[in-house]
Parts: sequence; C-alpha cells; structure tokens
Amino acid sequence: MWSKMETLKFDSALWERVASLLEYDAAAPLTLTTGFFLFAFLIFGVGYVVLHRRVTLRNIYVVLFSLYFYYKLSGIYVLLLLFVALSDYLIGRRVARRRERGRGTRGWVALSVVINVAILVYFKATDFFVGLVNDLYGSGTLQWESVVVPAGVSFFVFQSIAYVVDIARGTIAPLRRFTDYLFLLSFFPKMFLGPLVKAREFIPQIEERGKVVTSEDMGRAVTLIAGGLVKYAIIAKALGVLFVAPAFDGEMGEGGLVALMAIYGFTLQIYCDFSGYSDIAVGVALMMGFRLPDNFDAPYKSATITEFWRRWHISLSSWLRDYLYISLGGNRRGRMRTYLNLFLTMLLGGLWHGVGLTFIAWGALHGVALALHKVWLEVVPKAKRVGSEMKLAWRIPAVLLTFHVVAFGWLLFTAEDMAQVGDMLRRIVVNFSFAEIDALVHGSGVAMVLMVVGYAMHALPKSVDMGVQRMVTRLGFVGQCIVVVVVIWMVMQCDMMLAAECGAGGGLPMYAAF
Amino acid sequence: MKERNYMPRMLWFTLAVIVGVVGLGLIPPFELWGMSFERVDVLSELRADDNGEEAVVEYTADIERLEEELASMSEAKPEVDIVDSLPEPAPVRYEWIVQEEPMVKRRQLTSAEVAPVGDATVVSIEDFDTLEVTRYERFIDKLADMQDVRIAFMGDSFVEGDILTSDLRDELQTLLGGRGVGFVACDIPFATVRKSVKRTSSGWTAYSVMKPKSTPEALRDRYFISGYIAEGRSGATTRWASTDAFATLDSCSRGRVLLYSRDTSRVLVELNDSLSREFEIAGDDHVREIYVEAPIEAFRLKVLEGSVVCYGASLEGGRGVTVDNFSVRSNNGHAIFGTGATINRQIDQMLGYDLVVLQYGLNIMQPGQRAFSRYRDQLCDMIAYAERCFPDAAILVLGVSDRWIKNEESGVYEPIGSVDALTSYQRAAADSTHVAFWSTADAMATYGGMPQFVANGWAAKDYTHINFAGGRRVAEALARALRTSLAAELQEREAEAQRIAEEARRREAERQMLIDRNMGAAAIVLDSIIEGVAPVANEDVE
Repeated sequence: MWSKMETLKFDSALWERVASLLEYDAAAPLTLTTGFFLFAFLIFGVGYVVLHRRVTLRNIYVVLFSLYFYYKLSGIYVLLLLFVALSDYLIGRRVARRRERGRGTRGWVALSVVINVAILVYFKATDFFVGLVNDLYGSGTLQWESVVVPAGVSFFVFQSIAYVVDIARGTIAPLRRFTDYLFLLSFFPKMFLGPLVKAREFIPQIEERGKVVTSEDMGRAVTLIAGGLVKYAIIAKALGVLFVAPAFDGEMGEGGLVALMAIYGFTLQIYCDFSGYSDIAVGVALMMGFRLPDNFDAPYKSATITEFWRRWHISLSSWLRDYLYISLGGNRRGRMRTYLNLFLTMLLGGLWHGVGLTFIAWGALHGVALALHKVWLEVVPKAKRVGSEMKLAWRIPAVLLTFHVVAFGWLLFTAEDMAQVGDMLRRIVVNFSFAEIDALVHGSGVAMVLMVVGYAMHALPKSVDMGVQRMVTRLGFVGQCIVVVVVIWMVMQCDMMLAAECGAGGGLPMYAAF
Repeated sequence: MKERNYMPRMLWFTLAVIVGVVGLGLIPPFELWGMSFERVDVLSELRADDNGEEAVVEYTADIERLEEELASMSEAKPEVDIVDSLPEPAPVRYEWIVQEEPMVKRRQLTSAEVAPVGDATVVSIEDFDTLEVTRYERFIDKLADMQDVRIAFMGDSFVEGDILTSDLRDELQTLLGGRGVGFVACDIPFATVRKSVKRTSSGWTAYSVMKPKSTPEALRDRYFISGYIAEGRSGATTRWASTDAFATLDSCSRGRVLLYSRDTSRVLVELNDSLSREFEIAGDDHVREIYVEAPIEAFRLKVLEGSVVCYGASLEGGRGVTVDNFSVRSNNGHAIFGTGATINRQIDQMLGYDLVVLQYGLNIMQPGQRAFSRYRDQLCDMIAYAERCFPDAAILVLGVSDRWIKNEESGVYEPIGSVDALTSYQRAAADSTHVAFWSTADAMATYGGMPQFVANGWAAKDYTHINFAGGRRVAEALARALRTSLAAELQEREAEAQRIAEEARRREAERQMLIDRNMGAAAIVLDSIIEGVAPVANEDVE
C-alpha cells in the first residue's frame, strides 16, 4: 500500500518548497479551507495553548499570526490593514479625550469615515468611474490599471468605522493598547468574510484571561466546521460549477424552466457559499474560545422581507442598521423619512457589493420591498413582522413570496448586466415548458440532487440543528475527528471530480469579491 | 467541580485531523455508484511537482546501440495463431472473436466536408520533409483514402489526463470515423484523473520510466513509450471501462491487451462483466497481444496464475482514427531513450502507428532563457529514436505552449520570455530532421495567449497548465491544421478527378463526333448506294 503513495523525501528541495509555500502567492491565497491552513493552525495552536492565560503575550501572538494569515491572503495589503488600524486607533483615542472634556467629536469621526470610505471607493469604484469616463470621452482618456481589491477590505473598514462611532456615542471606551485594536480588526478566522464583530461584544473576549471551551462548545465548533465545509466546499461549489454557471451562460439551452432552476440554484449556492464559510470561521474561533456572532439563521424561511434581513448576513445588516440607517435618522424623523432612510440604506448596501447598475437595482429592490413592508405593517393592523407570529395558512404563502422576491433579487445581483436579467426573465415568461424536466434530471441529475438536499437541509427546523450538535458533542474526541476527516475527504473528492469534469478547482468564496 | 476546559483540545484535534487526512492517502482509488473516487494527497504541494527543476532522471540518446538492438531483432512479422488450436510455436497474438466487427465501408468525404468550419485563423503544419511524397503527406493520404490510422500522442503533464487529446480524438473520430479511447495503461504508480476512460486496478506493482532506480533490473529496458509498466501475480486485475464523456467513446468493437510473461502464465479476459475466457500466455520475452472482437463497454484482465508484465489495453473500433495518449509527467521527451526500442517496434507491429506527435518543452524553460541548442540536439535524437521505433509513422513536433510566470517583485504574471526562442529551436530541430512541425504557442496566440486562457478559465492559475477547456481549444486548432491539410489533399484529388472526368468527357465527345462524322459519311455512302440501287429497284418494280 505505502509503495503506491509517493514518498516524501526530506531533502533540501523539500525545504525550498516549504519556504516557497510560506510566501504570498496571488494564485493560491490562504483561506480557512486550504490544506495549508490546517497545518498552519496546528503550529499556531501550540503557542496559543501555551500562552492562553497570559493575555498580553497571547494577544500579540494571535495578532502576529493574523497578520501573517492576511499576508498569505492578500500580500502587501497587510500594510493597508495596519494603516487603517493605526489611524482609527489614534482617532478613537482623540475622540474619547474630546468627549471626556465635553468637546465636539464630529470632525474626528468625519475624518475617520472619510479615510475609510476613501479606501473603499478607491479599491471598489475606480474601475467603474474610469470605465465611465473612457466610455464617455473615448477610450484612453484616463490611463488606469485595475487594482486587485484587498481581501476583506470592506469588513475591516466597516468595523473600524463602527469602533470610532461607538466611542463617539459613548457605548465603548477606547482600547488602551494598539495591539488589542489590531486584534479586533485582524482576528484571522473572521478576517476574510466576517462575521463583523461588535467592539462592545468582542473587546471583553480579547481582554479575558484564559480561554474556556466547554464540551458543548467543542461539539458545536465541530458541527459548524463540518457542516460549513459541506455547504461551502461541496454543495455551493458543485452546484455552481455543474449547473448554475453553465445555465446562466446559456450552455443548457434557452428554456424557461432551466432559467428558473438556475435562479433557484444560485439562491441556494450563494447562501451555502457564504454561510458555509462563515460557519467555518465561527467554528474555528470557537475552538480557540472566541464567540463570534451568528451570521445566518435559515434566511429563506423568512416570511417577510424585514425578517429576511434579520436572518441574512446578520452582522452586516445590523451594521447597516446601527451605523447607516440610524445615522441617517432612522425612524425618528417622520414616516416618509423612515421609508427614504430604509431605501437609501439598502441602496448604499447594494452599492457596497459593487458599483454597477445591477447592484444598484438589487439594493433598490430590497429598499423598496422593505419600505413597502413597513407601509403594509401600518396599513394592515393584523399584519405581522415575522413568520413565527403568523398562522401557518398565512405563513406558507408569505415564505414563498419572500423567497421569490429574494431569489429574483439574486438574479439582479449575479447577472453580468441588465441585458442578462432581461434575457433570463424573458426565457422564464416566454419559453417555459415542463418538458425540460427530463433533460434537467438526465443532464444535471447530480446538481438537482444537491439542490434538493441543500434546500431540504435548510428547511429542517432549528431543533434538528441543535439535536445534531448534541449528537456530535456526545461523539467524543475520536468520533468528532472522524466526522471532520470524512468531510474533508468528501471535499477533496468533490474538488477532483469537478476538476476532471470542468477543469475548475480551488477558488475563493463568492463573497470574497465584496 | 470545575468543568473541564476543552480549549487545549484544538491542538490535539487539529493534529488528529491532519493524521487522518494524510492517512486518507492510503485509500486506493475505487468506484461506487458509477462515481470514481480518487486517491487524495494533502501533501501534494510538498512533493516534487511537474515543474520541479530536478528531473527524476535524465536519459541520453544512444542511437548506435539502438541500431544494434533493432538489427538483432527479428524483422519477421509475428505469426498469428488462433488460441483454440494448440499454440505451437508460441503465438504472438491470441485472438478471441465473439462478434466479428462489421466491415462497413465508409463514404468518401469531400474537401468541403473536411475543410475547417468557421473563419478562425489556421496555424498550419509546417512540413520540412524532403522526400518526393513526404511522410506527413503519406499520413494525410491515408486519411484521404479513408483508411484506418493510428496516432501516438507523446507528451508531458500538459496532456495528462487526456487533456487536449480527448478532444482531438473526438473531433477526428466524429469526422473520419473510429471509436474508442485507444491505449490506456494497466496501472500507474500515482493517482490520475481521466474522464475519457474509467480504469480501476488492484494488485499490480507499477513502475515509471522516469524512475529507473526503483524499477527492477529485469524491467528497465522493457518500457514502451507509454512510460508505465505493471507487474502482477495471480489476483492482479485491471478493468478498463468506456465512459460517455464523448460520443465516440461509450462503446467499441475491438479490444487488445499488451502483455508478456517470462514463464507461462494464465490470465482471464472478461468482457462487459459477463463473458470471460482464459488464455495461457506462453513464457517468452516478446510482447503478446490478446485481441478481442466484440461489442465492448468494459474490459477486464485478471492474472490467474504466474507473473505477468502488462503495458495496458487498447479500446478501439470501427474504421477510422485511433488516438493514443502517452503522457509522462516531468518528461522533457528524453524518457523515450529509456524505453525499449525492441518493445516499441514489437508493439508498433501490432498497432501500426501512422503519426507520432512529440509535445514537450514546457519543463525546460527558464525565465528569460533564449538559447536551447542542447535541447534542440536532444530533440533531434528523440525524433531519430521515434523514427526508428515507428518506421512507418510520420513525425509531428509540437512547439512549446505559451507560459507566463510570476514576477517575484511585483507579483504580477508576465511572459516567461523564452517561448518564442524555444519554439524556433524546436522548429529548427524539425527542419534538420525533415519532419513536420506545428507551433502550439502560435495556436494559443490566436485565442489571445495564456492570460486569455486563464481569464477564460481554460488554464490553471499557474499560467502554465491548460485544463480540459483549454485543451479543447488547442485540439480544435490542431484539428483545424490537420483538416486544412486533408481538405487540400482532397481538393487536389477532386480537381484531378474532375480533370480526368473532363478528359473522359472530351474524349467521349470526340468519339461521338467521330462516330457522327463517320456515320455521316457512311450514311451518305449508304444513301448513295440506296439511291443508286433504288431507281433500279424501282425500275424493277415497274
């Protein structure tokens, strides 16, 4: 048996390869799902376990590893992260001092916002505006080479703004040590795709002496990691490669049913991709004794659009609520202003994902839907805010309606341009035929099975999730290891099959683009 | 009681998972519910990869020794014997005809049918042969005559897993007929993924021509150009099964196994997991062929008794084209010097190669290197070696493919800077040895070159290896070149046929005219005779 595995030769060439692996490689960024991370986490773990009671040393150790993690993920942009951390750390201290003395803090808060937003706009919108100018005044008017967007830039920028605003609002005291603030921003499990953490909830964890993980925590962490891998690296990846991408590209014909299934497929894919990766992040942090907030709560079970935004990317929507919606005046400035604020918040939320018509349309759709729901709540006295308050007969059609609003919203979100949106909709309206079922089942059987399994998993009540968690907890150490190893094996097989099938392998989470 | 803190467990947990995942490498490839599961290797990035500078072995050419070896080899065609009759002397070919392949005569294609479709730029094949009828033309002639042709496509990791070749095969078979995936090795010492065929094997010890040191002495000069050899005792088995990944691969009508055993052995061949037959393989060094004609979807070889060395099987059928993919990782082409010339010649006599493609060079480029005269000389030797092993085949050298590398300072990819230089050295080698040449880099350039391949998802992010989608584009371009040659040949023939037909028509017309003229003359004579006689007759009547 061993003869069939290629042996590893411990020669100088091996160390050269190890050395080259340790360097940043744009073609192979470090994520939580790479084999490299597994090995790195082991080495990191040794120091962490030894140091976890010595707060200062531990935090510096974690910060150094996080910075290295970010370097492996995004290269030289680690300096940008350091810059943002330093500037807001200093501004935060200044804001707190001025607050103590009863002086205005607006100017400093504005400075922080301007710096952070400028970074976001530079990396995300320059391409768009240069393209626009060149379209208007002829190509070549502006010379510009597009920049690679630093991974997770919007996540750390948002958290940094929140930190300064919280100090100005007096909800938190500024951190004394720069390394602690760097810790807050760069903590490696959530570095890349969140969840966004609230300074108020996270700072006590940074300062906590000794980290405690209970048996239940361990079971929950393993469940989150294994489940996250299944969602992120198997369902989302395979569904995307095997079905959604070819269906959107028109490789599966012009049928309406295919178009509709592609939209449903993408709806599941983006949820599995994003929530799967978030779950892994939460699980990894939990193993280290850090509790990150939940980012998703079965969002497609929502019965209203308001409920959807409380269950989807929770940490972002609550950020948008706390720092954008409330800063715009929230619901304190009259009814019309409330609607407008909702609309503006979602529009800006859409713009944050990318500068382009489709994202604006996506944000506008959700903004209008949220405002309409608010109107509905006021006009219809019996209307409910969330599904759990509804009767079943109301709840089911409400869930279906909400799901479709969201799903067609995703069409706007993922389409290359408005022409593709129009084309997909035209196919569904004009070209719809159930005769395609046969072709779907035979041509994309695996993808259809994945979709059924994915939606079925999503539809299970929360008690089942908790039951699985208790079961995994009871499995004990060996059982938990086996669960994770088997899932990793499945992921690797899936990767190889997809590579053989379509030449697609590896890749980043979809949300990495935002 | 204070509850136990499980935090330190993250360390043991990670360690156990790593041990478990590394241990997964022990699970051999297997099939379940129609899906094939491969061996996983989490440490792959630490192992020497394809681009590793330290090639496993560097063979050098010894054409003189080759000549001697081939001279000592009996040139007599091996005799065919039917297994049912007592084999005496030992037959080279064991036949088992379950259902004779229907002899379908293929319709003659026209130049318009084979001409490349679309208006994509054709990167032509450059023929440097100086013969009156060049060997490449002979190959094209066979295609034009609608004869069976067999192509050996030798390459490195660039075509591993049947990248490029599967699409080339598909296009040629769809156009010119023929079925089946061609040659597939018996067992390979590492996991591979190939969607054009499902191969599962167990019980073999596999060796690679790239690692002669770990190959037993007795097998070192026994390699075929496939580069892999498998030795197995009773119980060793391999199953080759067709897939429906391509229209022409789902089933075939001929199967062969290439093997030999030093001492007499018994093997079992099983078709479609049902019909089976035992063969006694006479002990001899000569490569043997078990030749089966039957509708085949799955083909199994099992060693029952004794020790067998197996090269692989070939699934083929119908009249038309067979394309064999011979990819050997990390091979710059020099591995051909490590193959046994006698073995190559013996197998060539069984399979009959008409074209040998040499696709190499990706691994020898160094950033900015512009001189490759040593490699050019090696390539000349490779061509000479291939010519001697496959005397009836035309040789086609493919230029190196486009490759970009990362600038260590800026982190962005840029051209490696030696593709054009290496291509021109490869062309020079083809020129001086009078064989055909085709520039892969030029073909890739018509699609926008490597950055466009990566952007389109046709190549890996290493800017070096194309994937299946990229292989399809290169295969299309190569097929376009072959189709252009074939269309030109057919056009010439059609013009010739038309000229002959016109000539015939002209002769016929002349003949008719002559006949008319003569008939006219005869008629006048006849008329005058009748006229001359008639009055008399009339008079008589009167």
